[in-house]
Amino acid sequence: MEPGKTSGMKQRTIYRQILSEVQREIQIHPEYADLQNQFGLLLMGQGDGKAAERHFLKTLSLNPRYREARLNLAFLYMEMGRWKEAEGAFLLEARRDPKSGILHHALGVLYLQTGRRKEALAQIRRAAQVHPYYRGFYARREIWRQGSVHLDPKKEKAFKELHLNYHFAQFHNSVGLYLARKGRSNMAAKELEKAARLEPDEFLFHANLGTVYYHQGIYQKAIHEYKKALEMDPTYGMGYAYLSYTYGLLNRTREALRCMEKAVVLSPRYADLHYNLALLYSDRRKYKKAVAELRKALRINPQYLFARVNLAVLFEDQKKWKEARREYQRILQITPDNEDARKRLSRIS
Amino acid sequence: MLREDFVIQTNVRRILIRSNIDYSEINFGTVKGVVYIQGTFKVSSGAYIGGEEDLEGFMGKTLRSLELKIKGIPGVVDVNFQLGNWKKDMGKWSRAKPQE
Repeated sequence: MEPGKTSGMKQRTIYRQILSEVQREIQIHPEYADLQNQFGLLLMGQGDGKAAERHFLKTLSLNPRYREARLNLAFLYMEMGRWKEAEGAFLLEARRDPKSGILHHALGVLYLQTGRRKEALAQIRRAAQVHPYYRGFYARREIWRQGSVHLDPKKEKAFKELHLNYHFAQFHNSVGLYLARKGRSNMAAKELEKAARLEPDEFLFHANLGTVYYHQGIYQKAIHEYKKALEMDPTYGMGYAYLSYTYGLLNRTREALRCMEKAVVLSPRYADLHYNLALLYSDRRKYKKAVAELRKALRINPQYLFARVNLAVLFEDQKKWKEARREYQRILQITPDNEDARKRLSRIS
Repeated sequence: MLREDFVIQTNVRRILIRSNIDYSEINFGTVKGVVYIQGTFKVSSGAYIGGEEDLEGFMGKTLRSLELKIKGIPGVVDVNFQLGNWKKDMGKWSRAKPQE
């Protein structure tokens, strides 16, 4: 048997295995929207559109604002030629998020498919205007030149098929995440790479890929993928945090600091990020800034014991004994049998 | 060698992620090279396939291995475990009796 055929069969066996594993999970948690959406994608990947539709609809009945599930359903309707239903689903999401490039792009493809050329061109123009990725994407295909849309019959034919990638990319992303959760990170990375190749503009695929590489210990690749994700979505605060952790593992603490500073600005409600930023500051002897970050962490989570220990030690470093004692006493109020805090307190009492 | 706390912290994170440990109920911190591990110690589902009688031994070995790995991080001067369900006595890990 040819090697290509063997690996293709192996792949299909894995997909079937995952499908039955997710099916078992659904039987236990039928009200879990993520599982229903994932199952829909897997069924779609197996070519069972009817069953996939049922599960996307079930997802939306559990959570009517589940954007990915609605997009999955809309793209599925497009594949099935159910244009009206697809249009309705895209328009509903476009009203909620008028600056989403993918929605205008999808509507552009849909209108071209249904012969509504004028509306299609307007949507393509809108996609290029609202999202820099689509400007670049159309420019590479010579569809977008000098601020206007140019579609000759040859380009139009290719354009109509662009939506086909969406589902396959989502399918590979879903399989990749499943494998990653099961600790099969090599296979997970391969699936996510396929997803990112099919839809290179989807920030989530690059973020997921970055995380899988991070777990595998392939840090340069993780940095590359996180950076790509952040280029696409500069508001992704946790992306900066993961990038910071990765730089930390490579001892590149200056870059780690820069990224963690951005992470706390974008995701200020995560106590852990303030704690890590405080470590970076205290390592540089920027005690005032470190204390401020630890206090922020403690305001978010007053039970954050390590933040209190770090704070007490920072006060000790600055010979602020009263403040240090107060922090150790607070730790002992929360955990009365904390021997370490008791020892540290008796040392400065 | 003095190593920065943040670098130690990111290494502890990496070790936990790549271990058999279910770290969903574990918190960790680093203070001047001392690593603190706190919470409830559990192994990931699927990490152990033996019988119930060997589970305790497996968990003890997993903890010992975690301790050694963390101590192996350059700059770590000590590891302080504050686990609710496991304790170390005379250098040996054992399950802690539930508090009355």
